[in-house]
Amino acid sequence: MRAVISTRQVRSEFVARVQDLSGQDLLGCYQCGKCSAGCPMTEEMDIIPSQVIRLSQLGQEEDVLNCKTIWLCATCYQCGTRCPKGIDFSKIAEALRYLGMGKEKEVCGPNHIPTEIIAEAPQQALVSTFRKQGL
Amino acid sequence: MKVSYYPGCTLKDKTTNLDDSTKAAAEALDIDMVELPEWTCCGATHPLTEEKIINLVPQIRILSNVRTEGNDSVTTTCAFCYNTLKRANKAVIDDPIKRQRMNAFLKDDKRIPEYDKETVYDFKEYNGETKVVHFLEILRDTIGFETLSNRVTKKLEGLKVAPYYGCQLLRPPEEVDLDDPENPSILEDFLRSLGCEVVNFPFKSECCGSYLSLSAPDAATRASHTILRSALKNGAEAVTLSCPLCYYNMDKRQDNILKLYADFSTVPVFFFTQLLALALGVDESVMGWNKHHIDPTPLLKEKGFLS
Ligand code: SF4
Ligand code: SF4
Repeated sequence: MRAVISTRQVRSEFVARVQDLSGQDLLGCYQCGKCSAGCPMTEEMDIIPSQVIRLSQLGQEEDVLNCKTIWLCATCYQCGTRCPKGIDFSKIAEALRYLGMGKEKEVCGPNHIPTEIIAEAPQQALVSTFRKQGL
Repeated sequence: MKVSYYPGCTLKDKTTNLDDSTKAAAEALDIDMVELPEWTCCGATHPLTEEKIINLVPQIRILSNVRTEGNDSVTTTCAFCYNTLKRANKAVIDDPIKRQRMNAFLKDDKRIPEYDKETVYDFKEYNGETKVVHFLEILRDTIGFETLSNRVTKKLEGLKVAPYYGCQLLRPPEEVDLDDPENPSILEDFLRSLGCEVVNFPFKSECCGSYLSLSAPDAATRASHTILRSALKNGAEAVTLSCPLCYYNMDKRQDNILKLYADFSTVPVFFFTQLLALALGVDESVMGWNKHHIDPTPLLKEKGFLS
């Protein structure tokens, strides 16, 4: 992945906005990778959670808003439970999804799920999906 | 003990067996558990950004209604409901701004019972007074597993069960605080009190894929397979859990698992309340065995727990 890193991006409003929305100390992450090591979904992700954090620290807005990872986070809180710096990645992922949805990005809304699955799926799965991935 | 009961949406539709077995077990244990009137969905998932504070409203309305009903605590068996109710409660206790905003928003909220349109209940100011307890906590902390073990009429001896926690019951630990997030024991102690043999396995608190089941079904199939295979490898004859979504991923999804992993052998999945009701000798009609995708009755018959 080719990345242009400039002070303008590092100090951009995007970095402040992610910190603000997530309530997490984005710059406090020292990239130990423990969050990614314990994440049950890394196999499906294109970049791992700690990389999402690093790219966010560097203001790489395009990359993080377009990665699959934020939509493949199952919000299981394993990463945040284990982070030695007390950073909860699930909240950073939620902030990025929120910013992504602001750009009218809907990953999974009612029209994306086959009717037979809607008929059998637990209500809590439908509500959670639409809250996390719908518009 | 008197406690309000919040079943949650899924228990009234897809997993009535969890609802029915919970109520029957509570009755057998003389727990005075009354379902809340006019409850709504709890929101299913806790809002993780400040911008989504509105998503705390249903939980606070539910928690306030518990007070209106004259109770101090509310119990639920769904791990999602437990997680959202408990976290929303902590949010209004810890954060005065959230507390103020919730109360300001709900101030004019009215509840009018369907069966009695004359009575109008106004929203009662809510400051985090209600205690949210998982049904397992009632068994552990109020009844006690030793007492429970003495009340069991049918010991489930020789049944090898893997306890599965998943994510919402245990994490985030500073908000949910049910048990040790890395090495929990509540389900193990529960199973022992019923006479079951506990199967220890490393994936008991690993996520099953949760709601990704709908947007990324293959990810949930893979995650559920990892968990079930590990339980089987460690000698499990059955798996027990408390979350209707884990149940969907682990029971129904075994079809998808078989398609991807031909050498997989299926395993029955129980709600912990079904095992409890069975051990308490409750009438079998509440178990809803026919709702299971992987039929658990052959195993129960083989063990002599069903005739
Ligand atoms: S575990 Fe915490 S400090 Fe380590 S990489 Fe992940 S977020 Fe950063
Ligand atoms: S919350 Fe998301 S990123 Fe964190 S461990 Fe779970 S699936 Fe992975």
